[in-house]
Order: sequence, then structure tokens, then C-alpha cells
Amino acid sequence: MRFPFWRRSRQEDLGEEIESHLRMAAREREERGETSRAAEQSARREFGNASVVREVTRDQWGRRGLETLFQDLRYAFRMLSKSPGFTTVAVLTLALGIGANTAIFSIVNAVLLHPLPFKDPSRLVLLHEGIPKMGYPKMDFSVPDLAVFTRAQQSFTAIAAFHNEHVDLSGQGEPERVIAARVSASLFSMLGAQPMMGRTFTQEEDAPGHALAMLSYSLWQRRFGGAQNILGQTIAVDRQPYTIIGVMPRNFVFPLPSDEANGQSAELWIPMAFTPVEFQDWGGSYFYGAIGRLKSGLTLSQARFESKLSARRIIDSYPAAIGNFARKGELTVIVAPLQQDLVGSVRPLLLILMASVGFVLVIACANIATLLLSRAASRHEEIAVRTALGATRLRLLRQFLTESLVLSLAGGGLGLLLASWARDLMLQLVPPSILLPHQVPLSRTVLAFAFGVSIFSALLFGLVPAFQISSFSVQSSLREGGGAAKTSRRRFRLQRIFVTAEFSLALVLLVASGLLIRSFAKLLATNPGFRPDHVLTVNVPLPSPVYSHAAQVENFYQQVLAKVSNLPGVQSAGISNDLPLRGYEMVSISPEALASGRTSTPQAICQTWVMGNYLQTMGIPLLQGRWLTPEDRFGSQQVALVSLSAARNFWPGQDPIGKRVRWGVNGPWETVVGVVGNVNQQGLDAPLVPQVYRPYLQLNGGFLEQDPFADMHAMNIAVRTANDSAALASAVVAQVHSLDPQLAVGNIKTMTQVLASSVAAAQFNTVLLGIFAGLALFLAAIGVYGVLAYSVAQQTHEIGIRMALGAQQRDVFRLILEQGARLIFLGVAIGLLAAFGLTRLMASLLYGVSPTDPVTFAGVAVVLVAVALLACYIPARRAMRVDPMVALRYE
Amino acid sequence: MKSRYQNRIELLQGTLDLLILQTLQWGAQHGYGISQAIRARSGEALQVDTGSLYPALHRLERQKWIAAAWKVSENKQRVRVYRLTAAGKRQLLSERSRWEQLSEAIAGILNPARENQA
Repeated sequence: MRFPFWRRSRQEDLGEEIESHLRMAAREREERGETSRAAEQSARREFGNASVVREVTRDQWGRRGLETLFQDLRYAFRMLSKSPGFTTVAVLTLALGIGANTAIFSIVNAVLLHPLPFKDPSRLVLLHEGIPKMGYPKMDFSVPDLAVFTRAQQSFTAIAAFHNEHVDLSGQGEPERVIAARVSASLFSMLGAQPMMGRTFTQEEDAPGHALAMLSYSLWQRRFGGAQNILGQTIAVDRQPYTIIGVMPRNFVFPLPSDEANGQSAELWIPMAFTPVEFQDWGGSYFYGAIGRLKSGLTLSQARFESKLSARRIIDSYPAAIGNFARKGELTVIVAPLQQDLVGSVRPLLLILMASVGFVLVIACANIATLLLSRAASRHEEIAVRTALGATRLRLLRQFLTESLVLSLAGGGLGLLLASWARDLMLQLVPPSILLPHQVPLSRTVLAFAFGVSIFSALLFGLVPAFQISSFSVQSSLREGGGAAKTSRRRFRLQRIFVTAEFSLALVLLVASGLLIRSFAKLLATNPGFRPDHVLTVNVPLPSPVYSHAAQVENFYQQVLAKVSNLPGVQSAGISNDLPLRGYEMVSISPEALASGRTSTPQAICQTWVMGNYLQTMGIPLLQGRWLTPEDRFGSQQVALVSLSAARNFWPGQDPIGKRVRWGVNGPWETVVGVVGNVNQQGLDAPLVPQVYRPYLQLNGGFLEQDPFADMHAMNIAVRTANDSAALASAVVAQVHSLDPQLAVGNIKTMTQVLASSVAAAQFNTVLLGIFAGLALFLAAIGVYGVLAYSVAQQTHEIGIRMALGAQQRDVFRLILEQGARLIFLGVAIGLLAAFGLTRLMASLLYGVSPTDPVTFAGVAVVLVAVALLACYIPARRAMRVDPMVALRYE
Repeated sequence: MKSRYQNRIELLQGTLDLLILQTLQWGAQHGYGISQAIRARSGEALQVDTGSLYPALHRLERQKWIAAAWKVSENKQRVRVYRLTAAGKRQLLSERSRWEQLSEAIAGILNPARENQA
């Protein structure tokens, strides 16, 4: 019933009714003898203003709900199109504000709010071991520990182990390096995951000797073209045939992509199948992830308590020789919700980004509110006329809010476009440390959010001006003829409050951004401990089933090192299992105590196996003693290099050369032959850890074959080149393939790239927050400009009088500037206080800078004041140029 | 024009509704006819402003006291004709009694005052 087309016909009805009235009146006059022309004119005169009659009559139709909305909307569009400048500025401002909020929210929604795609994910927990007193607060499980714990615990319906392994896929098509997840059979039912084709493996098949594999959807599509007859076919994993028994659905991701895997996720799943040897590996190889499902009715804290008790059973099960260390080190089991473990580190970053876009939106709204208030001056007469014609205050209020709503929905729509564009850009910038799900869709939740934010914005910027405008006294505005000097004072006060608030918020954002910029600069200025320029690294993993003997592996790496070293353009080359800033292995070693010769307690240390001129290639300086040489091989004296921090830690004030260390508590003694510089192995912002470098060729052959670290078969070649290092990549890979054409090499990167990607997360924070702070500064500057320009326009008359009475241009200039400066300084003062209270929330994102860094606070305040004064300068100059004669005639 | 304008009596709030309903009691009528009828019956003293008449007609229509229909007049013109509904007749009765009470009360107040002045 209430649709605009129906309404139109009713409007036509009214028009016709009025026309017929006029015709009848004219006819009667004609019959009385007037000419038809005069009759018609006087009939119209007597009738009065037909459009007003039509308007007030229409008001009687009881427009409600949709009808009123349509009418208000039509009117809003008319009003907004009358001032395209204002409309454009407002819509663009809102688009920026709402767009930024939507873009960040879509990420927050995907990362923080979206439940994991598993059955009842809140009951899933990750389990870790920890030996806090030995420097291992949190690590993965060893196989025997997990077996003991699984039997002892009573809190979990099931516990599954998982471990990512890099494997070569060969056979059909190009050799390819992918992640295969070794997982327990119980994993799939625990997660509530069903294969889309075939089956998962059974408990009985989770044992050595069952070469079964389940493919990821993407691997199935990529490598097998989505063939339906895939089940029962074989796939060569590290050149061993595995029978394909199932395909997992597209959305199944487990283990969740981690930093370590470079954000990649597993492409196939094979049975965990622990070997009897692995079950006996006490006190070593804490490599296996463990996930459990809480028994129903059990709280997390109950499970934590019970797990601590069960952890004692692990200690009791240790062989006597090392059990004591586990006990002294207070070995325990840590229970953490899967969700929290996943997002714990990015939560503060995302929340701070969300808060900052919120600030930007509030600033944008404050800006539009001041614009609306300024615009109100020109609407005085309109309001007076409408009130005189019977519009109630509520009616006016609704009309103004409708206008605000039209603005903010237009801004929201544009913002959504902006967001979908900016989001793609942002997702490319997102560092792997922010674990994003595979796709971040502009979901219904995000759309609803954008819509909600639009409505909220409309209220935020529309409500105060609407109340203000609709309360104009009709008499006063009619009497004042639109000038309205007195009411404008009050509005002007509101505008000043808005602008002050804008400056406070902008200052908080600028301080946050300034702190990040300073901490990023500090990060870049940190000495990484190596020379990143002109170094190329290539990862060359050897599939262990093929390279099963230690001699084969050592032989291969020696040969490839010799070949690569002889390449033209290569200055030096070396091999190592870990690279600076990328992965590291923590082990326990016992340094020899000098005086007594007794071993001291084991210490956590970062251990790297090297070969050739690795340290020289990386540009890590030798500070004392000698380099490792090819003569440091199996059978000769066991030697090691330690980093400066290790030397100072273990033997403070003593000469480290000739001191001995050993792995764990029973390993053979190794003699320290040199001290090298500290390297940031874990990342520039991570604390330095003591390091030990050991010759790869002294690695125990049996140890290498067993390869508990999983990377003794996946060494990295590093070469220092005379010229562009990236250009040499294909030559290095060619040398590898000349020895084994089937090898899949990976991770070809220059150390400059590695350095850059290690600061990618910090860069992401800095860039995004910088953009938002810049936006805030820009909007606040526009805000103060707008208010002052409006104030100057309002005061033109007054300024004219002052100048006529002898005020100098300088005085006028100062008068206006002072008005602006008062707002700015008040805003800055409030903002500094707020920032002082708020920046501590971002302490975890800062490196080398205190959250209340006075340099940043002062610097930012100066920048803000400078920009703001610049914005005041233009209206102040305009005021200065006021011609008294023109100004006095102004009204 | 000016003198006539001053002679016009401003209608009290609500009285126009009463006059319209009363006018329609003698038969269906269009807007122009209603305004002419009120003017004629008041001896030209009451001139209904169209800006009040049409809103009132539409308001009364919405309250279902009168109903409207398009008819063709004797001059072969389409005109919108209003007639009183049953609810309108009841409304007219109650408004009339209210009006009579009101005018009696006002008269009661005014008459002694006039005597005092005289």
C-alpha cells in the first residue's frame, strides 16, 4: 500500500482537485461578468500559494514509515545535490573512515573472531612440554614423553601428535618440495574432519610399514588434475611409493600454517607411525606437536592442574642419568587453547589497528559534524519556513538525520569499494607471522559491519548538529534575516569542541605511529651480526630414503660445495643447517667449568652445523682463535666455535679458547677453538642467545642417518658473490642438478631479502599505522581549517569594524591565529595525556623504544602543531586582507 | 480588499472541521463548493483559507469521517466530491454539542463583563 508510485497517483489526485477548484472559482467569476483572463487571475490570487496548499495538505496524509522515509530521502538528495562541494567532501571523508574500518575488520574477523573450522573448536587445546629451569619455557613433545603422558592423563578424550616434514614429491611431473604432515590416526576424528573422498587411516595403520597418504584438495587438483580414480594410486614421497587412500576437503587445514613453515600448510597427511627407536628417545627430540580435546565438563584450569600432575609421570619415566635434570629443570606440561595459541601474538597488533581506524572514523565524523554545523547557518531560513508551515521539531530532526544517513550510506558504499581494493593490497603486505586463513572473504559479517558502522557514523556526526539546528528559534532567525549572529556563537562553541577532540585523537594516533616508526628505525639500525649484501642462499634437501647413509649425504654436500665454490663470480661458499634470522635449533650443552673441571648445569644454546667457509661467507667476524677448517672432520679432535655472548656467559673474564663444552650431559667433549661475533639468529628484535658452531663433518654418522633434527639432510648453501648475488641462483641450482637432477631445491633467497622479510611484520605495523595517523592528521587539519574559515566568514563584519577603528592587519592576523592556536594546544594537551595512558598497550609491538618515549611525544606534538598552524594560516591571512569598507557593507 | 480582509474572522482551532461536517450534512460537495457554502452561510464573514480547507478535508478523510470520490460535475468536469460517513455524522453530533457548550460558557463570561463596562 505504501509505495511511491501509489503516492504519486495520490499527488496527482490532489493536483487535479486543486485545478478543479480553480476552474470552478474562475467560472463563477466569469459568470459574474469578469473577463476569462481576469477571472482566472483573481481565482488564483484568492486561492493563495497552490504549492504551499499542496504541501500542507500532503502533510495530512499521515506519512509514516516507508513513505516518510522516501519523502525524507528525496528531500535529502535534493538538499545534498544543492551543495555538491560539501557532499563530496563528506562522502569521501566517510568513505576513507568506513573503508579503513571495514578493511581492518575483515582481517580481524577472519583472524580473531572466526572460529576454527573444526568440530567444537573451543574444546581443542595444544599441549607443550616445558623445562623452565633449563631455559626451555615451552617446547614440543618428545615421543616417549608423549606416550607416557597420553597414558597418564585423564583430562583429554584423545591426544594426537603431528609434525610437519618437508618432502620431495616426484614421479608424475616436476619434482616438488611440499609439506607432509605426519599425524596420529586419532587426529581426524578429534578435529571432526571427514575426507571428501576415500577414508582416513585407522589406528592399526598408524604404525611403521603402512605407506599411506591423504592428499589435500589443492595437491589433488594440481598434481592429479582432480582425477576421480585417484584412490589406490601411488605417489612418490621422498621417492618412496605411498598409496593414496583419501582426499581432504578444500577447507581442511592442519597443522595451522606457522611462521616456521613460511605460512605454507601441509599438502598431504601420512601416518605418524612412531618407530620403536623413536619411542626410546628419552631426553631428546622435543619436536612433535600435540593436540588434545578436553573431556566434556572439564574446565581448562582443571585440565591444567591434572596435566601438571601427569607431567611428574614423565619425569619418573626418564632414565636415571637424565631424570635428575628433568626434575631439577621442573619439566611440566603446558595446556593452551588452540585459538589462543594461534592468535595470541597478533591479537595486540590487530586490536591496535582496529582502535586506530576507529579513531580515524571518529575524527572523520567530528569533521563532518563541524561542516554540518557551519552549513546550518545557510539553512536558517529554510528551517524557519518549514517550521512556520507546521513542521514539528521531531520532523526536522528526522529530516536532518535522514540527510546524515544518506551521506554515511553513500560513504559506506564507497568505503566498501575502497576496502575491497585496499584489503587485497593489505593482504599482500601481511607478513607470515599474521596467520591468515586461506581466504579473507568480504563475508556477510563484514558487510553487516560496514552497514552498522555507516549507521553509527550517521548518528555520531548527525545527532548533535540535528538537535542544534532543529532547536533554532523560528522568530529569532526570521528576525535576524539569516545572519543569526547570536545562535552562531553557540554553534561555534560546539565546533570548537569537535575540533579539539579531533586533535586529541589525531595526536594519540600520531604518537602510536611515531613510536612504531622509531622502533622500526631502531630495528633497521640493529647490527644483525652478519653482512647481508651479496649473499645468496639455496636450500638443498636430500630425501632421506635415497640418501640413507651418512657417507652419501656428506659426499653430496662436499661435492656440491666444491662445484659451487669454483663458479665464476663466487668469492666464498659454505654450508649450514640454519641461516641467520631463519630458523634455529636450541640444544642443551654443558660448558666445562674452569676451576673444578666439574660440568656445570646444561644451558640452552643455539647450535648450527657448518661446513666450508660458511661463517666467512656470511661475514660473521672471527674475534679470537681460528676458523673451522676441512681438517675438522670425523675422527679428529672435536671442536666448536662459540659466539661472544656464549663465551662471556660460560666463562666470564676467562680465555674461552681451549675450554670444553658437551652436548647434553653425556656427549663427548668438544674444544672451543675460536670466538665469533654474535648473530641475531631468531630475529632482529629477539634477545641474543648464546651460539655454538660445530663442523658438519664431525657429525656422528649414526646421528646423521637418524636425523632427529630433520634438517641434517636439508642443508643450505650460502655463497658470497662479487656482483649481483641473485643473478647467480640458476648457476648454483645447475650445479646441484648436475649431481642429482631429481632434487627439488627451495628457498632461493638473498640474505638482503631474508633481512627484509624478517622485518616485514614490523614494517606492516609501521606502514599501516602510519597511513592511519597521516589520515587523522589530514582530517584534523581540514577540521581546524574549516572551523576557522567559518569563524572568519562570521566575523568579517567585526573585523571590518576593528580595522576601521585602527586595528592593524597584524592584529587581525594574530586574533584569528590565536583562536586556532587555543583549539590546537588544548587538543594537543588532552591528546598527550591520553596517549600517555594508552601507548603502554602497544608495548609488545615496540623494540628499543619506551611506550612513553619523550622524543616521540615531543616530536609528534611539534609536527601536529605545525601542520595545524599551517591550516590556520590560510583563514588568518584571509581575515587580514579584509577590506573594512567591504566588510562594513557585508550584511 | 484590505478592509474585507480585516473583517474576516479567524477560525478557532477545530471549528473548521465542525463547519465542514455541518456543510456536508446537506449533501455531498466538492472543496470549492464547501468553501463557498461556508462563506455564504456566514454572510461573507467567514472566508475559509484554502491552505486550511484542503488539509482539513484530507485529515477528515483520513479519520474516516468523510469519504471522497471522483464525480463528473454538471459542467462535465472531474471533481472530487466529499460526503459524510456514518462515523462523521456521529462526530458532527458530538462536536456540535461541544461547540454549544463552549459558546454558552463563553457567552456567560462575556455578558456580565459587557454589563460592567456599560
